Amino acid sequence: MTSSSVRRIAVVGASDLGCSFALAARQAGHDVTLVDEHPQSLKQMSLDAPYFYGAAIPAAVLNENAIAQVVLESNPEIFECFEAEVDVRVGTIAWGAFRNAPNSAHIGTPKLGLVSQDSNKLLEHDVLVLATGARDFVPSFAGWDLPGVFGVKAGLALLDIYQCYEGKRTLVLGTSPEAVKFTRSALAAGVEIVGMVEPTQHFAAGRLAADEIAGLGVPVLYGRIITAAEGKTAVNGAQLVPTNGSGTVEGLDCDTICIAIGRLPNIELPAAMGCQLRFDASVGSWLPETDAGGMTSAAGVYWLSRFTGGEEQVQAILASIGGDTVAPAAPAESVARADYLQLWVDTLFQTGGSNVMLCQCEDVTRGAFLGLEPPRYLDGQLRHPQTPVTGRCGVPRIHQDQMKRMTRVGMGHCQGKRCRDEAALLLSTRFGIGLESIQPGSYRFPVRPLDLDLIAAGDETPEMRENWLYWPAAPENL
Amino acid sequence: MESFDVIVVGAGIVGLATAYHAQKSGARVLVLDKGATGYEASSRATGYLSLRGETPEECALAQVAEKLWDELDEELGYPTEWTQKGRLWAAIDDGELAELKATFQSFQATDIGFEFIDAKACRDLIPALTDKTLGGIYTPRAGHANPQRTTQAFAWAFLDRGGEIREHTPVLSVLEKGGAVHGVRTTRGDIHAGTVVLCAASHTTKLLEPLGIVFPLAPVRLEAFVTAPLPPLFEEAFIAHGLAVRQTRRGNIHVNGGPFEWIDVDVTGEPAKPTTPLVRNIAQRLVEVFPVLRKAQMLRSWAGIVDITPDTMTLIHSFDTPRGLVAASASGHGFGMAPAMGVAIADLALQGRTELPIGDLTLDRFASLPGDWRRAWNWQAGNINT
Ligand SMILES: Cc1cc2nc3c(=O)[nH]c(=O)nc-3n(C[C@H](O)[C@H](O)[C@H](O)COP(=O)(O)OP(=O)(O)OC[C@H]3O[C@@H](n4cnc5c(N)ncnc54)[C@H](O)[C@@H]3O)c2cc1C
Repeated sequence: MTSSSVRRIAVVGASDLGCSFALAARQAGHDVTLVDEHPQSLKQMSLDAPYFYGAAIPAAVLNENAIAQVVLESNPEIFECFEAEVDVRVGTIAWGAFRNAPNSAHIGTPKLGLVSQDSNKLLEHDVLVLATGARDFVPSFAGWDLPGVFGVKAGLALLDIYQCYEGKRTLVLGTSPEAVKFTRSALAAGVEIVGMVEPTQHFAAGRLAADEIAGLGVPVLYGRIITAAEGKTAVNGAQLVPTNGSGTVEGLDCDTICIAIGRLPNIELPAAMGCQLRFDASVGSWLPETDAGGMTSAAGVYWLSRFTGGEEQVQAILASIGGDTVAPAAPAESVARADYLQLWVDTLFQTGGSNVMLCQCEDVTRGAFLGLEPPRYLDGQLRHPQTPVTGRCGVPRIHQDQMKRMTRVGMGHCQGKRCRDEAALLLSTRFGIGLESIQPGSYRFPVRPLDLDLIAAGDETPEMRENWLYWPAAPENL
Repeated sequence: MESFDVIVVGAGIVGLATAYHAQKSGARVLVLDKGATGYEASSRATGYLSLRGETPEECALAQVAEKLWDELDEELGYPTEWTQKGRLWAAIDDGELAELKATFQSFQATDIGFEFIDAKACRDLIPALTDKTLGGIYTPRAGHANPQRTTQAFAWAFLDRGGEIREHTPVLSVLEKGGAVHGVRTTRGDIHAGTVVLCAASHTTKLLEPLGIVFPLAPVRLEAFVTAPLPPLFEEAFIAHGLAVRQTRRGNIHVNGGPFEWIDVDVTGEPAKPTTPLVRNIAQRLVEVFPVLRKAQMLRSWAGIVDITPDTMTLIHSFDTPRGLVAASASGHGFGMAPAMGVAIADLALQGRTELPIGDLTLDRFASLPGDWRRAWNWQAGNINT
């Protein structure tokens, strides 16, 4: 490779795809930086982004140094990257990405905002590869804010990465492939799985997986849904009801509840950068629009994700960076998850009703959200609320930003990561408007909440300081 | 062709306040917006009512606005989070202090009773302020509110009175014939009205160009962010160190300020409003002013576009030719002014005259403005902080 074709490539996300891309790019002679937010600080973990740890983070995580070692050792691919002289930055949040764009012409070389506990940098790069992975999808039910309720990605992280899972008797919600994976890991770690809850009569991950689970002796509770996590200060049980409406409540003894219905892509970076998005009905989420070479609508910004394809993306992106034209790959196998997420949300709503807290940060119920009620801090100072549907005289529309601003669902600490998807699903069912027609709430930088003293930068130039106006002012001498 | 008494172009707070008052006075009003209701500057503002000590010509109108703010929740029927706890503009270094003292001269030309207070008085008002604080301009009047809620409140109150808002319907031009307007052309056809009011921020300039009218506005992009909610720290509208900082009712610290970028807009598309790494520098200044915020968390940042007139003052004009045309620009402080602007503009639209004090705020003051004023001011697209 000639030195002129060496590119500075920033890769966000050390998932298997992220690591294998970083390695391949390094081997092709590029100058590669690989960034990953794990191991996260306790404060970040407590915000449930991207994984939903819930309110009970194991005490072992408090020892951040010991944990860091364990986390790194659990990811041998990262070590390969280290060895190949990829510049690996762990425990580092890529909170924003900036480039010259319409109405912002002063960025110069593209920059990636990186913050860790001890550094605050803008990383200049030529190419940005977003391999930001997935986050937990966690619909609400009574008691879902109790310590002991968590999402499947968080559960797997505690079991396999942080190696400090504290549950003894875990109830699994859902029969998705992730639920199966979690069950396997939990059993191997000596955890008892008291059951897997499945609202339908079918095992979502398929017949083979169902057989495996049966072989492991884990009961699958078909035709049931959770109505409450029980306990005062932590989970000590769960309430299930039959989905056929026959009504008898069943109590179940457990100390942890793993929500394993599905996961969603972490699109906040490309979305906040202004990359064009498309709704993917099979994933049940918006995804960046990409060409055959994996490039988003922003030149030099690539999207690398299991939600979009497989390993072949690595070579396709490398070829595209090298300037080659890339033939379209066969479309990725559809995972058809959206229906499963919708089924859970609808069934939880039918059985749990309006009074369940939808937004934990701002303490807003499903009913208050759908009724566009003002938040609690305003103490009911409102005349009868309006409807969420605008455009009454033309095409009916719902704008999630408006819903968010008026109800505060999605405006809290977790930046909407816990509730925004359920909120959209609820709106879709309640008002009969397809998810693809509900304008999603906007994503904003920083994509993780950041302490001001970590993100504050003392790099104001003297010129900037000299001319810093708080507001545009007319020239004086005219 | 469909017909209304009044068409208002722009569902920002100025257009909605105008539409609300016109509808309330009995007219049939249609509001058109190229995007969603209150999605531009009006929902991105910090939320201050400034009494305009900087530009005393606007003080009278600002004081009308202040009165209306005090009754706005009741008038509209929806909470705006109006908080009337005064305003403090402080200095934390010698340079700022000198500038602030100079600024105070224009404040003294008003009848509002601004006071210059010392460091101790500043910190008595806001104990969380840095001990570097040197003094500030204070008034117990003025206040702040929630821009998103207030803009939506005007929209809902207008709908409650039978008005109509059509979103995602860009206006392409104003229809004019024989010296009078008779409607607008939209991407979905023509709509008739004998009166057309343009409250389309910087886009108003573009819509007036084909009529041979120079309506001088320069669009500029500004940045802001909020922290996660905190316990109550202060209630005043606060300015210092190049930042406007308030604490919302919910508890978030809301901050805006710093270098801004002049841009251009087009008639149909939604203008891009990217944010930049500037938030890092704003955060630094915020912590310098309020050291207690070190461990507060930046939650989300955004940018907004405001339309600035050559002298930064409000512009409201009712045209003789073509008849039936009114246009307005809030010049970057329309959030606080909107309640009064709405009354004045609705008066002009329905009666051709208003009692409100806007005599100094018409287009007439720009009669001899040079054609290349944006270049002369250094306010062309691509310039930063000039
Ligand atoms: C960061 C920031 C902080 C601010 N802080 C304050 C503050 O503290 N106090 C204060 O008083 N002001 C503040 N402002 C300024 C204030 O927000 C604006 O002055 C005010 O919102 C202007 O309202 P508007 O209705 O004129 O404009 P906008 O809210 O911009 O509305 C104009 C509307 O016109 C629509 N439109 C444009 N062209 C067309 C077309 N061709 N057809 C149809 N519709 C069209 C747009 O889509 C838009 O919805 C701030 C602004 C920003 C960005």
